[in-house]
Amino acid sequence: MSAAEARVLAPVLPPEVVAAIEAEIPNYPVKKGAMMNSLHHVQKALGWIPRDAMVEVAALLEVRPIEVLEVVTFYPMFRDRPVGRHHLEFCRNLSCALLGSRQLIRHCEKRLGIRSGETTSDGKFSIGEAECLGSCGTAPMLMLEDHFHENLTVEKLDQLLDSLD
Amino acid sequence: MPKGTTVLSAALDAGIHVPHYCFHPKLSIDGSCRMCLVHVEKAPKLQISCNTAATDGMVVKTDTPAVLEARKGVMELLLVNHPLDCPICDQAGECKLQEFAFQHGRGYGRTEDVRRKAPKRTEIGPRVVFDQERCILCRRCVRFTAEISGTRELAVLNMGDRSFISTYPGQPLDNPYSINTADICPVGALLSTEFHHKLRVWFLNETPGVCTSCSRGCNVNVGGYKDRVWRLTPRRNDAVNDTWMCDHGRLNIDYVNDERRARGAALRTATDGFEELPFALAIRRLADWVAEVKAQHGPQSVAVVASPQLTNEEAFLLRRLVRDVWGTSMLAVPVPMGEGDDFLVRPEKAANGRGFADLDVPGASLDQVLDECTAGRVKLLYVIGSEMLSVAGEARVRRALSGVERVVNHDILPTTISDHASLVIGGCTWAEKSGTYTNFEGRVQAIRAAISPPGGNLTEGEVFARLIASHGGASEHFDADRVLRAIAASVPAYGSVTPEAVQPGGVATGDAAQPAA
Ligand code: SF4
Ligand code: SF4
Ligand code: FES
Ligand code: FES
Repeated sequence: MSAAEARVLAPVLPPEVVAAIEAEIPNYPVKKGAMMNSLHHVQKALGWIPRDAMVEVAALLEVRPIEVLEVVTFYPMFRDRPVGRHHLEFCRNLSCALLGSRQLIRHCEKRLGIRSGETTSDGKFSIGEAECLGSCGTAPMLMLEDHFHENLTVEKLDQLLDSLD
Repeated sequence: MPKGTTVLSAALDAGIHVPHYCFHPKLSIDGSCRMCLVHVEKAPKLQISCNTAATDGMVVKTDTPAVLEARKGVMELLLVNHPLDCPICDQAGECKLQEFAFQHGRGYGRTEDVRRKAPKRTEIGPRVVFDQERCILCRRCVRFTAEISGTRELAVLNMGDRSFISTYPGQPLDNPYSINTADICPVGALLSTEFHHKLRVWFLNETPGVCTSCSRGCNVNVGGYKDRVWRLTPRRNDAVNDTWMCDHGRLNIDYVNDERRARGAALRTATDGFEELPFALAIRRLADWVAEVKAQHGPQSVAVVASPQLTNEEAFLLRRLVRDVWGTSMLAVPVPMGEGDDFLVRPEKAANGRGFADLDVPGASLDQVLDECTAGRVKLLYVIGSEMLSVAGEARVRRALSGVERVVNHDILPTTISDHASLVIGGCTWAEKSGTYTNFEGRVQAIRAAISPPGGNLTEGEVFARLIASHGGASEHFDADRVLRAIAASVPAYGSVTPEAVQPGGVATGDAAQPAA
């Protein structure tokens, strides 16, 4: 670990993301309040939140990088590593687990030849796991690009994977 | 009971034991460990006492069957993934996990699962090691860096059962107060690198004392064993240092244990070697020299430079010896100056500059004394300690010393000064003596001998007492308490400073004295 790692070597945030974050700041009593929305802007633009971006966000919100890292790692919705073009996020919490989310994840792992948390070598798919996504009534389920796929079975999962390009 | 007092604080203040991990009197409330659960009458379930306001007429029970069972449950969960490596853990013996498992645990384990593996002995900062397996996520360390040091190096990363304490890559736990995190960590997760795997703590004999590395005088416990000082840890004093101390002061103990410590007394021989001589003869020799020089050149040809690390009691006797008995005003007390900060660290890098001033000990500046030496007008220079080297610089001191016929050096380690000395007397550090220091605000605080000095060295106070006696003064052994009573009787500002009053938190004099409440 070197101190240089914490410094931004080259800015990674596109100017429009910086502008979006700056526009969020006045909405909060303290700059730090804009953290969640700022991170959403970053993730939307870059697909994930690289370390250098965290350092830039920290500078914009006048906090220390560790305070950004702590938020990013706390919420599973924020990604601190790149994901595939299609990021399948399986709910693994109680209702989904009872109704077979584990088996669905295993099936998906086998079919894509990667493990949960990994990305296929062609960058097309990645598998993630989330805590309860608030859709217990239709468990088991997964989230893909802001859409819920509910009442899943192995067959429905296969169909979903086939339909993605 | 002030408004806003919590049930836990009220209980602790009343001497009622309620086990707790995340609560710390000098940090914000976290409420994360659940160890402090109590029964509050009319409340539907157990409450965490650290975050429940105490109110008038409230009935709280700390030992109902439900409370005891809840503690067992909390302990069980905390121990599910704990490595139980107490045999190699520095915290063992002063670990809250051990203590509460012993007092409040179930007494047997019910899990068979493999314990989680996590990084051990991570260098989380230059002076602190981290063992993630032992961490119970009480967040005391995180709050310390957020609220006390203001450096915010630490955070909890991840969520739930995957969370752990971390720094940001490349930004280690490195602030002037970092080792306090090891003190407040209730388990063996954060440890002082310096003390790591050095000694089982139950061998330590902890003596209340005061840090001497600056004029704040943080209250400490001096951990001694086999005539070495192994560690200093802060001791709570809300009027001085709360529960903290700086890393520099804590680690500045090597000279106490230095192999090169001067033992006994030695006289320079005609062939420029040294021969040992008993303390009694060394003291006799110094007294004779002083008498000789005074008779030939007058009292001002005798000069003294003294260390501001001497206690008030020693300072008081030194004043009597030098200014009354020897009759010279050439007595300088150089205080090394350095950087301070806006928290604890003071720029005066000595324990007792204030005490020397309060007792009106110095009669000259270091400049005056050194100039007189260089000019050849000082025939005998008695130097206690080596502060003048850092204050005036080696070169200037060397020049001054070469102008003096007889240099007597009374110190703990060999220096440029002992190189020039005709007579060397081995001294004692704060760890080896009892007495008081006055901190920068005028608070008089006690130290007690924690270890015995090397080579049977006499304390400086004892040497001064014997010097006074050898000039025909009353022959008394040095007794710090008796001298302090004499100080109280003769120095108005110290009128209330008695040996009894000064323990354990000190007595405020001067600007430290609060208007009576
Ligand atoms: S390292 Fe120690 S102080 Fe910090 S959260 Fe863990 S147990 Fe608490
Ligand atoms: S602030 Fe001063 S007295 Fe306190 S620990 Fe540091 S050096 Fe010692
Ligand atoms: S447990 Fe999966 S949506 Fe609630
Ligand atoms: S001390 Fe009350 S929850 Fe930790």
